[in-house]
Amino acid sequence: MSKKVIKRLEKELGDKILETSDFRGDDTAIVGRKDWKAVAELLKNDADLAMDHFIDITAVDYPEREPDEPRFDVILHVRSMQKNHRVRIKTRVGENEDVASLASVWPGANWGEREIFDMFGIRFADHPDLRRILMYEEFQGYPLRKDYPITKAQPLVPYREVEGIEKLPPFGPDEGQPWGRIDWQARLEDEDYQVSPALGVQVGQRPMLSKGPETDTDAAAGEE
Amino acid sequence: MPTFKLDGQEIPFEEGDTIIRAAYRAGVEIPHYCWHPGLSIAANCRMCLVEIRSGRQMALPVLKWDEKKKEYVEATKPKLQPACQVPAGEDMEVYAASEVALKAQESTQEFLLLNHPVDCPICDQAGECKLQDYWLTSQKKLKRKKTEPVHKPKGVRFGPTIVYDAERCIMCTRCIRFCDEVVGDHVLDMRERGNTNEIVLSPGRELDHDYTLMTEHVCPVGALTSRDFRFKARVWFLKSSPGVCNGCATGCNTWVDHDPRYQRVYRLRPRDNEEVNGYWMCDDGMMTYHGFHEDRILTGRVRAGGRVNEAPRELAVQAAAKVLEKVEKGKLAVVLSAQHASEDNYVLHKLAREHFGTDHVYLTAKPDWKADDILRHRDQNPNRAGALAVAGGKAKSMEDLVKDVESGVVTAVISLGAATTLNEAELAPLANLEGVGGAAHVNLTSNAGALASAASVVVPVASHAEMSGTFINAQGIAQQFKKAVRAPGGIKTAWETLIEIGAHLGWTVDIARLNDVRKDMPAKLPSATGASSAPAAPAS
Amino acid sequence: MEPYYEELEDEGSLELPSEPMKLNMGPSHPAMHGTIRMVLDLDGETVMDVDIQPGYLHRGFEKSCERGTWSQVFPYADRLNYVSPMLNNVGFALAVEKLVGLEVPERCTYYRTVLGELARICDHLTCNGATAMELGAFTPFLWLVKVRDWIWDILEQETGARLTHSFGRIGGMAKPPTDQLEETVLAIFPEIDHAMMETEALLMKNRIFLDRTQGVGNLSPERAIAMGCTGPVLRSTGVDYDVRKANPYMFYDRFDFDIPVGHDGDNYDRFVCRFEELRQSMKIIRQALEQMPKSGPVNSPDIRYVYPEKEDVYNSIEGTIAHFKLVMEGLKPPPGEVYSFTEGGNGELGFFIVSDGSGTPYRVRCRPPCWYNLAACKEMLVGDMIADIIPTFGSINMIGGECDR
Repeated sequence: MSKKVIKRLEKELGDKILETSDFRGDDTAIVGRKDWKAVAELLKNDADLAMDHFIDITAVDYPEREPDEPRFDVILHVRSMQKNHRVRIKTRVGENEDVASLASVWPGANWGEREIFDMFGIRFADHPDLRRILMYEEFQGYPLRKDYPITKAQPLVPYREVEGIEKLPPFGPDEGQPWGRIDWQARLEDEDYQVSPALGVQVGQRPMLSKGPETDTDAAAGEE
Repeated sequence: MPTFKLDGQEIPFEEGDTIIRAAYRAGVEIPHYCWHPGLSIAANCRMCLVEIRSGRQMALPVLKWDEKKKEYVEATKPKLQPACQVPAGEDMEVYAASEVALKAQESTQEFLLLNHPVDCPICDQAGECKLQDYWLTSQKKLKRKKTEPVHKPKGVRFGPTIVYDAERCIMCTRCIRFCDEVVGDHVLDMRERGNTNEIVLSPGRELDHDYTLMTEHVCPVGALTSRDFRFKARVWFLKSSPGVCNGCATGCNTWVDHDPRYQRVYRLRPRDNEEVNGYWMCDDGMMTYHGFHEDRILTGRVRAGGRVNEAPRELAVQAAAKVLEKVEKGKLAVVLSAQHASEDNYVLHKLAREHFGTDHVYLTAKPDWKADDILRHRDQNPNRAGALAVAGGKAKSMEDLVKDVESGVVTAVISLGAATTLNEAELAPLANLEGVGGAAHVNLTSNAGALASAASVVVPVASHAEMSGTFINAQGIAQQFKKAVRAPGGIKTAWETLIEIGAHLGWTVDIARLNDVRKDMPAKLPSATGASSAPAAPAS
Repeated sequence: MEPYYEELEDEGSLELPSEPMKLNMGPSHPAMHGTIRMVLDLDGETVMDVDIQPGYLHRGFEKSCERGTWSQVFPYADRLNYVSPMLNNVGFALAVEKLVGLEVPERCTYYRTVLGELARICDHLTCNGATAMELGAFTPFLWLVKVRDWIWDILEQETGARLTHSFGRIGGMAKPPTDQLEETVLAIFPEIDHAMMETEALLMKNRIFLDRTQGVGNLSPERAIAMGCTGPVLRSTGVDYDVRKANPYMFYDRFDFDIPVGHDGDNYDRFVCRFEELRQSMKIIRQALEQMPKSGPVNSPDIRYVYPEKEDVYNSIEGTIAHFKLVMEGLKPPPGEVYSFTEGGNGELGFFIVSDGSGTPYRVRCRPPCWYNLAACKEMLVGDMIADIIPTFGSINMIGGECDR
């Protein structure tokens, strides 16, 4: 962590830095929600700071802070590859508030922000592709919020229909193991119908490839 | 308000408050064992010693070990004062967390644990024990004594309710002071001195007054344990919900400790409320929790042809509705219960008034019992005031009901609760109302009792711990109690059941939740006037 | 339909009709280690775009941690990067110790280093073995996995379990090192060397292997840094960032070891990086075993956070109370938040923990190195063929447990 970064941020941004701390040596600065992108761009583009290595973006839920303070903390960790210093930047976001996406500053933030959206429901403005990443699309609720009980059951989701894609055989209206299906209708109507080779042996439609002398005699006997 | 500083924090105080009481009121805890807000000051545990850096400071000359010189050097140590005894003064600077104060707490804690038996796994106090909590904040280390601890009597039977363990006792004398000051019965005292100190009973006596369980409640360690609760449940599995005792008209505030895994109440504890019960409860009140689970009526009963048949709750509800349909309006008697919450009584009265248009209102209650001038009220019913307020101030008694039934003024009865002053023989006329031509006795109850036995249809309802409601006590204070456990088997509260029965009868009412009931209740039937209590954490 | 004849000047002008095809490389796929779904947009065999969908192994690690005590996180932490579980244990223990401000004895730090580096060796053996196997070279996989099994035997001897041993504790380790640690570990090193030498002899100059891994799955250093990649994925692009050298923790500044760095950022470089790191790990272990004190306590003596000795628990009330508080309520770190990071098998494994002063964690965020590596994988895949997905995806060592948590 680095005090130098904090000092620099305080010099450039003045009172946009709401609080700083260095508990256990982790230098942290808290900024307002509206200044989030400006701070990120300063961190990345400034020559002295040069924080080009994106480390992590995450969030924490403090529901009891409402209504005095917004409920979520969004926390960014970045690092500079040249100078080897780190900083943690935090901001506070309320439940229906947006925060700017940092995906245009560090592309690594893309997946981090998708995960925050998935787990907490915080929306990132101008994110290229804000959708759920860990959970499935039909999931209801935001699991890492404190008011989401860990034992909550989700409703059963029906099979998704895939649009605009032609399903090639053997997948079709009834997906499943293609080799286990027997098309009884065809089988009863049409003596000559084809089954998959694996099944053919079992239903006696296709002879085994090699037979020993006894069976040859049997077959010869049967033919007569 | 004048303030003083405690560890830099401003604490307001009233004239005459000691430091610890002012801090307690402000929600700041100074570690202590023997002090209790409801008892006199003893200052014998020495845990609350604080450093006071203002005013006249006393210092003691001591010898201090100098690590560098490897010898004792002369130094001074500020004389610490017990925060429970020193009155708070304007602009005082008190430090309960300064180095010297913390060292004193560490030493005191070490001394208290010096001969303490290794009983945590079997001690009921584990999980709510001050010794455990203060060890973690003050001592944090093992003790230095390596010899065998002193052994004292264990498992001494003090009375029908309390067992004493002298090894665990820290001689704080809270139990002695409680019996002396609050109960006025000097039955406990201390014996011997030094490390053979123990609490004993007065010769020829046993701990048998009406507040013995409070000695267990004030004991900060596991020395006094309640025979009723010991070994039944571990406290960290229990959740507490705020309740009001339903034992008498005092309406002591309680904490209902229940285990959510089994949905069972395991004990009650007093909740502080300076207006109503102070810090205490009587033994009978503490034992009322047995009634939440014992002697329950959990299925419906329908009497037909002299035989009582058990029926599932839904069928009992339908049977009740069928029976009440045939009742002649104006000939229905409504029996309110002084044992039930105001909401139950209100909805019953509303159903009777609106749908049946009756004005035959009676009140059933438990008989009076032994009162005293500490907490117990003569009236054994928690909500007589509430039930009477529902009835508009006047209700006839059960004897009148029996007379009215015999004379035919009323031909059907709908009653709440099973408790009554009359016995089964006296209730025979009610028992004879058996659904013939509009005669019936429908009883909604949670526990078994005389009135339930005299009913032709019994519908089970939730008990006191399974519902939220309001009691109005003898002082006229309306107090709310909260639901602690779920009623078994889908049983609903009495007011919900009455709305269900009413729905079968065609009575519509715009009530879905408890708040709707409360909004509907008139102003003279308040659902809360007294705010229950002082600091959220119970004084222990 | 009638046959269609066309006079052609040359065959090159015969354009086969093709349209982009969406192919689902579903979560249940032998090459999608630990369930990753890739929805590929293909033009013929070339990958035009890929939508990587992780999350099929999401088990709610972070939510589960909020449910127990601080020490109950260790079994969950094991199952993050489950091929090198000791590194996760150590990472989490270091994070809580940073939050509490707890010092552990030297012997514990060396022990953690030895077991952690053994876990790293297992991780790299598995990754390279699996990558080789998926390219068709099954034999090296068996050699490397055989050696890995012997390492697991050592871990079983030390911790009692081969894989998910939950051996780390806050303030120390679950048990002190056995007497056979040094000799068994040093005895396995020639085996590891031998297996690696044979694997390298088989693969490193093999035409097929080189064609399939060199120049495939390229990633540029700038892109890797901006995407948040760390570990062998980043080092193969030429950036020499290793947490053990840049921000030394435990006693890594006392050891003499190198950081292998590639230059092209392709699969081959990642493969070789891992093998070289493996050799460096063996070097570290040798030095750690030499420097480790041969006797002394492994756990911190602070009984607020570490269980007291059993004889104290049974014979003194303070020991019982300490044990009781630790088990029933959990250790209580001061309120605050801390981010502590170590070099995991795949890169910078960080733990961001928030405490509210109680025995239950308020938030435990694991910063998984392969989450961001997987995000960068998309760029490695676009432009290559389907068949290249296999070695590329295998070489980033995406461990589902760590990625999805």
